[in-house]
Amino acid sequence: MSNNSIKLLAGDIHRSLAELVAERLGIPLSKVGIVRDSNRETSITIGESVRDEDVYIITQVGSGEVNDRILELLIMINACKTASARRITVVLPNFPYARQDRKDKSRAPITAKLMANMLETAGCYHVITMDLHASQIQGFFDVPVDNLYAEPSVVNYIKHNIDYKNAIIVSPDAGGAKRAAALADRLDLNFALIHKERARANEVSRMVLVGDVSNKICILVDDMADTCGTLAKAAETLLNDGKAQSVIAIVTHGILSGKACEIINNSKLDRVVCTNTVPLEDKMNNCPKLHQLDVSGVLAESIRRLHNGESVSYLFRNAPL
Amino acid sequence: MSSDNSPVRNLVILGGSSHPRLTDAICANLNISPAEASLHKFKNGETSVTIVNSVRDKDVYIVQSGSGRVNDNLVELLILISACKTASAKKVTVVTPLFPYSRQPDIPYTKTGAPLVAAKANSLNTPSQFTFESVPGTPRSSGKCDTGVSLATAASNALKQSASVSSLGGVVRPAMAREDSWVPEAPVREINNGYKQWIAQSGTLIAQLLTCAGADHIITMDLHDPQFQGFFDIPVDNLYGKPILQNYITSYIPDYQDAVIVSPDAGGAKRATAIADGLGMAFALIHKERRKTKSFVNGQTRQIANTMLVGDVAGKVCLIVDDLLDTANTVTRAAKLLKDQGAIKVYAIITHGVFSGEAIERIKASAIDKIVTTNSTPQIEHLKSLGSKLEVLDVARIFAEAIRRIHNGESVSMLFDYFTI
Repeated sequence: MSNNSIKLLAGDIHRSLAELVAERLGIPLSKVGIVRDSNRETSITIGESVRDEDVYIITQVGSGEVNDRILELLIMINACKTASARRITVVLPNFPYARQDRKDKSRAPITAKLMANMLETAGCYHVITMDLHASQIQGFFDVPVDNLYAEPSVVNYIKHNIDYKNAIIVSPDAGGAKRAAALADRLDLNFALIHKERARANEVSRMVLVGDVSNKICILVDDMADTCGTLAKAAETLLNDGKAQSVIAIVTHGILSGKACEIINNSKLDRVVCTNTVPLEDKMNNCPKLHQLDVSGVLAESIRRLHNGESVSYLFRNAPL
Repeated sequence: MSSDNSPVRNLVILGGSSHPRLTDAICANLNISPAEASLHKFKNGETSVTIVNSVRDKDVYIVQSGSGRVNDNLVELLILISACKTASAKKVTVVTPLFPYSRQPDIPYTKTGAPLVAAKANSLNTPSQFTFESVPGTPRSSGKCDTGVSLATAASNALKQSASVSSLGGVVRPAMAREDSWVPEAPVREINNGYKQWIAQSGTLIAQLLTCAGADHIITMDLHDPQFQGFFDIPVDNLYGKPILQNYITSYIPDYQDAVIVSPDAGGAKRATAIADGLGMAFALIHKERRKTKSFVNGQTRQIANTMLVGDVAGKVCLIVDDLLDTANTVTRAAKLLKDQGAIKVYAIITHGVFSGEAIERIKASAIDKIVTTNSTPQIEHLKSLGSKLEVLDVARIFAEAIRRIHNGESVSMLFDYFTI
């Protein structure tokens, strides 16, 4: 192995994505021992030397023990830093706390900024993430951030798995219009928008459909699906008000917290396609409508390019197979 | 509540969700009511924080103990600090009676204060993980290098070899062949056996995180490592539990002058002798020797823990003094040893009673007659299960007084020595 080689690190929970990336790169994951002490503190051992190596820490943060994952990540970064790694890159496809990215009311924290500060403080030199909820989060960092897009992978998926000539791209809210419109342009498809009035977080009140979706396959596109209330209501609106043929949802980060699986099962959605930026294995079992889209190729390729000092922008338009 | 009408001007006390009772007690001592903050978790597990009262230009104190779900509480604390900072608080002081990650129980040599170097040297030079007497040795030949815990199969041999490679070469490159010889099922255990190379030392990290979130000042109590204060670039006031503990000893232990203060391990000797000296009491020390010795029967290594008592406790009342009770392993063992040596009664006097894991059961079955701890962590549940065996002392007054003094710019050092209830 050449000097200053890639080291891939991952925690012991949610390793699936890291394993896929490792397989694609042909590099085994380095050994990391995580011990959760009885006093609930986490102690981490890096089982290999990382001195002068190019370290990539791949972390999947889903729903549930978010804070535990964050602390594990921070401790791991710090361990590598103090162990004299040459460069530490955090691969955090689903950026935690991305939705708390602004001071939306008095005395509310900007937790995304705090996360950025903490990652840097711990010693991270570079961040690779995917479909940030707000791309402005990149500006919260003083270190370079590569915000990759799931869009090329989604385009591939639509082209191969959906009769897309008869489809229409729908954004479930005004905030996602840009993303949906970009995808519609890529596929040369029409575009519709659902405008919703949100009363409180995690709750949806009223939906208004803008655009003609009758007899079309509607592809709902969003960056994040949490409780899936929005998607389920949107599907209903599309089928009832818009007379659509069927509805498919494609989201980058399927956080699917709370009763999301139940909501999807009971909804009129044909299927929900999520990328594997968030661990879904356990949810796939009790939710047959859930499909997974592998983005490990993009992440692996970005790691390879980053390591070799090549441009990453190719990946913004193209997904490696 | 409006803090403008309160006796202490521009002072805001915020409580995290780890220990609301302590927050209330501190506020009661200061005669103000705690500021409101809505703390909850989103459905996806992320922490949500909103501070209800204004903190603009205020002196904010956030009370959060490093107990319970430590990581959740820590992140909540960080978000609270950051929220106060973005809401234009003048100064944010973190009041954390039990400092999170102040000790990593796996690694006894953190006490040296130069953790990573020590950790590295240990794994490179000495095959055993736990010794107080690890001497910097020369790299051994592979035959002599033992990984410590016996593994029955060929995997263990492979492991031994790889461990010895590491001890020889220092920096190990993972050859694919060696990769295969690793047993993939239980990575954690394997690493515990041979590779103790890069143990994450979270101390500095936690200090940096708190500073990075915006903390301007830290108030804590009985830090496990006093060196921890040096990890911060901001002032740290390390209060001592000693005055309260001393006060308990003099007031509630009959004929305390005849009792013996016992330190359960060498690391706590300084803390224990300080109390013994302060009260003019006798002192004894339990020395724990953890050595790996090779058994001649089957050639496997085995950890033999020798505990020795230095000092005379026969016919005496013993007071075990320590800063932190976690799994209660150390204390219960010490109590047994003391009783074996003829002690009449064994008290355990400990600043922070975390009681994690099976601590409660262990204590119930142990030779300890009474545990005295403080409410630096929530003790309600422990009181329920331990009953009269547990005595909880109140630290709220010390913290309240420290907050008052720091807020008013008075000296805190008086609290280090004299504090009477």
